[in-house]
Amino acid sequence: MASAASQNRHPQAKRKPDHTTFLTLDRQNDAINPSKARPHYPELAKLSAPHVESFNSLFGYGGASSGLLDRAVLDIGKRTVFDGRTGESNRNKLEMWLSNVSVGKPVLEGGSGMLSNQLFPGECRERGISYKGMMQCRLNWRVNDGPVTTEVKSLGKLPVMVRSVRCNLDGKSPRDLIKHREDGEEFGGYFVSNGIERLVRLLIVPRRNHATALIRSSFQNRGPTYSQFGVAIRCVRLDQTSQTVTMHYCTDGALTLRFSYRKSEYMVPVLLVLRALCEASDRELFERLTMGQSTNTFLTDRVELLLRSFRRYAVHTRKQCLSYLGSKFAVMMDSPEDHYEEDVGAEFLKRVVLVHLDDNKDKFDMLIFMMQKLYALVAGECASDNPDSPQHQEILLPGHLYLSIMKEKMGDWLGAIKTQIQLDLRMKPAQVDFADKKYMSKVFLKTTGAADIGRKMEYFLATGNLVSNTGLDLQQTSGYTIVAEKLNFYRYISHFRSVHRGSFFAELKTTTVRKLLPESWGFLCPVHTPDGSPCGLLNHLSHTCRIVVDKVDVAKVPALVASLGVGQMSGLGARVRLDANGVPDEDRMDVDGEASDGDADELDALDPEIEAERRNDVTVSVQLDGKVIGWCSAALALKVAQRLRHWKITRARPVPLDLEIGYVPPTRGGQYPGLFLFSTPARMMRPVKYLVNGEKDMVGPFEQVYMDIACLKEDIVPGVTTHIEESPTNVLSVVANLTPFSDHNQSPRNMYQCQMGKQSMGTPAHNLPHRTDNKLYRLQTGQTPVVRPKLHDAYGLDGYPNGMNAVVCVISYTGYDMEDASILNKSAHERGYGHGTVYKSEFIDLAAKRRKGEPVTVHFGLSVGGEEDGEVPTTKAGNILDFLDWDGLPIIGRRLTQGDPLYATVDDVSGKVTVVPYKSMEDAYVDEVRLIGTDTGDQELQKIHIKFRIPRPPIIGDKFSSRHGQKGVISQKWPTVDMPFSETGIVPDVIINPHAFPSRMTIGMFVESLAGKSGALHGRSQEATPWSFLEGDGESAADYFGEELKEAGFNYHGNEAMYSGITGGEFKADIYIGVVYYQRLRHMVSDKYQVRTTGPVHNVTQQPIKGRKRAGGIRFGEMERDSLLAHGVSFLLQDRLMNCSDYSQSWCCSQCGSLVGVESAAGQGKAICRTCGDSKGVEVIAVPYVFRYLVSELVGMGVKLKLTVR
Amino acid sequence: MNIDHHSGLSFTEAGGPQIAIKEVTPTTVTFVLSNTDLSVANALRRVMIAEVPTIAIDLVDFELNTTVLADEFIAHRLGLIPIISHQAVHLNYRHECTCSPYCEECSVLFSLDVSCQSENAMSVYSTHLVSSSPAVQPYVDPANEKGVLIAKLRKGQQLHVKAIARKGTGKEHAKWAPCTGVAFEYDPHNKLRHTTYWHEEDARKEWPLSAKAVEEPAPRDDEPFDYKAKPERFYFTVESTGALPPTTIVTQALDVLMRKLAEVHRVLGGIAEAQGEPVVQPTYNL
Repeated sequence: MASAASQNRHPQAKRKPDHTTFLTLDRQNDAINPSKARPHYPELAKLSAPHVESFNSLFGYGGASSGLLDRAVLDIGKRTVFDGRTGESNRNKLEMWLSNVSVGKPVLEGGSGMLSNQLFPGECRERGISYKGMMQCRLNWRVNDGPVTTEVKSLGKLPVMVRSVRCNLDGKSPRDLIKHREDGEEFGGYFVSNGIERLVRLLIVPRRNHATALIRSSFQNRGPTYSQFGVAIRCVRLDQTSQTVTMHYCTDGALTLRFSYRKSEYMVPVLLVLRALCEASDRELFERLTMGQSTNTFLTDRVELLLRSFRRYAVHTRKQCLSYLGSKFAVMMDSPEDHYEEDVGAEFLKRVVLVHLDDNKDKFDMLIFMMQKLYALVAGECASDNPDSPQHQEILLPGHLYLSIMKEKMGDWLGAIKTQIQLDLRMKPAQVDFADKKYMSKVFLKTTGAADIGRKMEYFLATGNLVSNTGLDLQQTSGYTIVAEKLNFYRYISHFRSVHRGSFFAELKTTTVRKLLPESWGFLCPVHTPDGSPCGLLNHLSHTCRIVVDKVDVAKVPALVASLGVGQMSGLGARVRLDANGVPDEDRMDVDGEASDGDADELDALDPEIEAERRNDVTVSVQLDGKVIGWCSAALALKVAQRLRHWKITRARPVPLDLEIGYVPPTRGGQYPGLFLFSTPARMMRPVKYLVNGEKDMVGPFEQVYMDIACLKEDIVPGVTTHIEESPTNVLSVVANLTPFSDHNQSPRNMYQCQMGKQSMGTPAHNLPHRTDNKLYRLQTGQTPVVRPKLHDAYGLDGYPNGMNAVVCVISYTGYDMEDASILNKSAHERGYGHGTVYKSEFIDLAAKRRKGEPVTVHFGLSVGGEEDGEVPTTKAGNILDFLDWDGLPIIGRRLTQGDPLYATVDDVSGKVTVVPYKSMEDAYVDEVRLIGTDTGDQELQKIHIKFRIPRPPIIGDKFSSRHGQKGVISQKWPTVDMPFSETGIVPDVIINPHAFPSRMTIGMFVESLAGKSGALHGRSQEATPWSFLEGDGESAADYFGEELKEAGFNYHGNEAMYSGITGGEFKADIYIGVVYYQRLRHMVSDKYQVRTTGPVHNVTQQPIKGRKRAGGIRFGEMERDSLLAHGVSFLLQDRLMNCSDYSQSWCCSQCGSLVGVESAAGQGKAICRTCGDSKGVEVIAVPYVFRYLVSELVGMGVKLKLTVR
Repeated sequence: MNIDHHSGLSFTEAGGPQIAIKEVTPTTVTFVLSNTDLSVANALRRVMIAEVPTIAIDLVDFELNTTVLADEFIAHRLGLIPIISHQAVHLNYRHECTCSPYCEECSVLFSLDVSCQSENAMSVYSTHLVSSSPAVQPYVDPANEKGVLIAKLRKGQQLHVKAIARKGTGKEHAKWAPCTGVAFEYDPHNKLRHTTYWHEEDARKEWPLSAKAVEEPAPRDDEPFDYKAKPERFYFTVESTGALPPTTIVTQALDVLMRKLAEVHRVLGGIAEAQGEPVVQPTYNL
């Protein structure tokens, strides 16, 4: 039975899944006998892969046991301190560095007699603590290059990602997961911070190691002569930290490199850097830059100018350049005092300039390339690259960001030690002795705050704020983490798939960044983005989009490229354009077309064909991950690209599948040409089918722009198309895919559904009794949709129902369904349709009220010592023992109304019992009371968690929606007898108005209705994947389901003759009726209604206060007042704005017109005007209280306000 | 009142409404009501759904509930269990009874006390309910002898409730409705043109004929439209929840209908008497 069921579910191997059944028995079997081996829904588990895998890469990268963490620690380098005074001789040198950073799995510490000290995320959630593991490192130091001393230091407890390699749930099967109080399908990817699940957002950052040409007017503000042209490159080190460098073109012909280091900006002449990188003469530089284009006077003039103007620096050799750089950047680099300027210069080049490359020659080549690209941009030969296009973007992965923060904090710690020593040297130099272990440990002790990396990471996760000295090459300081709300499962999934453009762009006034670009096809979902302020900035990955995380082995690629005839760099000799004759025959591939001799007739340039051919001869660079690995003609580059792609798919040569082969052909004024290969992590990749052999190819957004990928079979152009989409639905995100027949809808409706699907009450999780979320929505009577796309099964969403199938009638009936309101069948409601529950919870920590170190004096309980016969305090609610037990805790299952006792505490010292009431206005049941101990479990109870259950049956005013962006509120609940009915006795559950359709054009809902009806009649599930039906007569979805309905004896078009429930008469028109899946949205009147007659008023103005929670009123504002005035309803005006607001009676002196000058004369029972000195003119008038307030404020300013009383 | 199962219902007055029963199964009855007005037919339909009294669990006292399901959720499920309601006629409605909170006159007590001792999950069915009255039992469908599933228990979980079943009608809550659905139809050939069949080309091709169409002669194409005609034959199918046999639902519905009419008659008679007008005795007896 079990094996049969699993075969059914993992059908890829044997047979196609049967989409006509609901697979109910399989699911039941999975629930009763969870798998001991693999996840039930592998597709679902993949959704959090970018998060989990990137975190895992910290601990293991490229198959090696050493991960990115080790590389980061290595890259932190050494900190050096000298004792004594500057200039003194015989100073002692202390070098410190870190090594062997390790992170352990989360454990409970200090307890004795525990069966296991493993800490699981479930416990953290229930106890409201963080899920973290011990982090340790070795702190090494040596004095005067002597022997190394090592000490193991704790770096605090590091928050650990759930289901990562450092999580205790790593590799657990569904059965084990359930044992550890998780969902069987738990896929992790988040951190538990104070009991709350938080995850690090995926962010869009510029594509790494690729020079992008930019035209920005803001570049002109960088300094005098700066132009708008620039070429930027975001270089990423092996440990995934980055350093962006921008090359600027100045109008005086100079080129400068701009970078920011520790949040300050610096500019360096490019030539200085070039010369410091390699010994190169002016001639060599000239030839490398111009590459034999001696006729291009634009270029030669500029290069000449550049070389000439560099003379003024008077640095000629490489050494001189390095020293010059060193002298300028020694302070910025905080370099050791014993370093020579030359060393500092070399260190500068290593740490700042093109950090993705190790070799200076590679850096030199890349800088040359950037200069060429910049000159081409200035000359207008190439266009600027669009930084908003996914072509030039990649994803900042949570693990990588996490690591870079950790790296910085570890560096800061070393820096703190250094600062502490320097402080000691200044304040009490006698004590400083590097050789003295005691002194060193004293210093370490003083810097333990900086050593607690774990606490800093926890702060980062809990707040999403980036506290950084360097800025980490990022554009924002906050908003990096979000709560993984389990409002329902759709919303939960979406968190892991969402990609944000960065909060910097949210404030941008232009909308260009929000545009949906064709380049994002297949990578970012065009449908799934919220409307409103984050529209277009918060996107979601398409469901097949994968993010490369692990190392891609490209060691063989340069050799393979060379074998195809791409010229290699050797020495710094002049790089004359490589024409076809330049490559030895045996290395060459057949390149079509004869090479032209370059000096062709001027007129030829006008002929587009000749021009295009000439373009094929342009020499382009071949780059692998931002390293120039060769040069060749464009025609050859194209061939190389094609051959590489063929190899990568057929696996004929060691070309990895995740290699991105972006061939940019030479064009007139288009993107700068070249062959760009990418193998680095953090790139988006997606699968498409290679037409040649039908195998899977992974395609990235850079190469996709220049590829010919057909969407459907009909789109294939022979000889052009190389790939085809696996399925057109691959472009949609998970949630967008779940809209049935979304291809029939007007597009904004699908966007609305993506929002509403995420707001509906559903099944957030299976481990509800072990969750302590603040607020949780649950649909009691969820159902699997009759009509659902294939992916619904692949993602196992039947485990998380999000709505219910409703018989929906499209009819205008009794008028209560006007304006998007819908009528609910009262009897359906009574049978459970749409019943929901809200869970709210509260942590009560008695320790929070106590100061640290004080003894425990307050306990939960109703009597001192816990006897069960003490005197019970009386409450308004009646016998307190009806609500609480002697332990002071509420009784489970008890219904609470406002003011009822919730829990009681007793103070040892005073013996006083404090009963704390239940405060919410809404009645609730006590669902769970959780007693929370400490890690060790040997402390007395001081913390509890109470979960309240609030039943929320649907009531008038609650919001419902179909899956087609058709939302509405319930306006009336009609009993069955009053509802219209069909000849077969079917009574609709929901009535909606036909006017909801013409303007919104949600044809998908009609189709779903048809499909649902026939599915219900035939007892099968209906496949509703978008783009699975053709258009046209006889092939459309309507025809397909029409035939099915006909077969069941119903009208082809889904209409039925219906009768009025009230009169029994047949309706004049036939009615469209079918089965549609309805979602109950979380917006409920119970959370929103606001009523007030009298109540609390504001202290100063005596006007009603605002706020629903405080029983305040709704503001009757100026515009409302205007409309009453316009209406002439003065009595209402008087009532609202005076009598029901701040009506007050006041004395007023009719003689002098004073309002506040009248005061009551003591003991005389009358009032006297202080200005007039008598009570003759004093009268009582009705004024708004605020007016009195205004008058007294004016008095305070010395302004008299005089009333005329008539 | 007098029902002849062979020829249908015969009222004392000849030419009055007639019922011809077509088919009776344990859960359904199909009949044709004729010789009466649409309003009467619809009234019968409405009464069958909403006003035939049955018994259903209305109040649940939870003594112990350690299942995963919330109290109110189990209570709701218990309420929806169909209970054989022949005794409903002998019970008082809650508002008719002076007792507090309930008594034997107005309620039947059910108790459910289950706990799971086995390693496997235990299913609690409506057959686990123990009634205080042997004549009032949960309805059990012959195809499903265990009854309705109420909850599932894991080892160590317990459910102990006292459920009070009361008499009520579908008007108040759907759980008291004796029928799951009432099919109602007249004029299968649309001779009266009460409705218009929307069609793309040919309404006759696109619209399936009702099963009841064989009962009436199809109109000829050249038949003139009789705009004075009124619906006369009403085709009913009543499906029971099991609380009452379908035929009983019909007879009790008729009974309720007649009581209502009698009440109108009685009140009007009282007024007539007070005004000194002659009182007409009812022609039917209850």
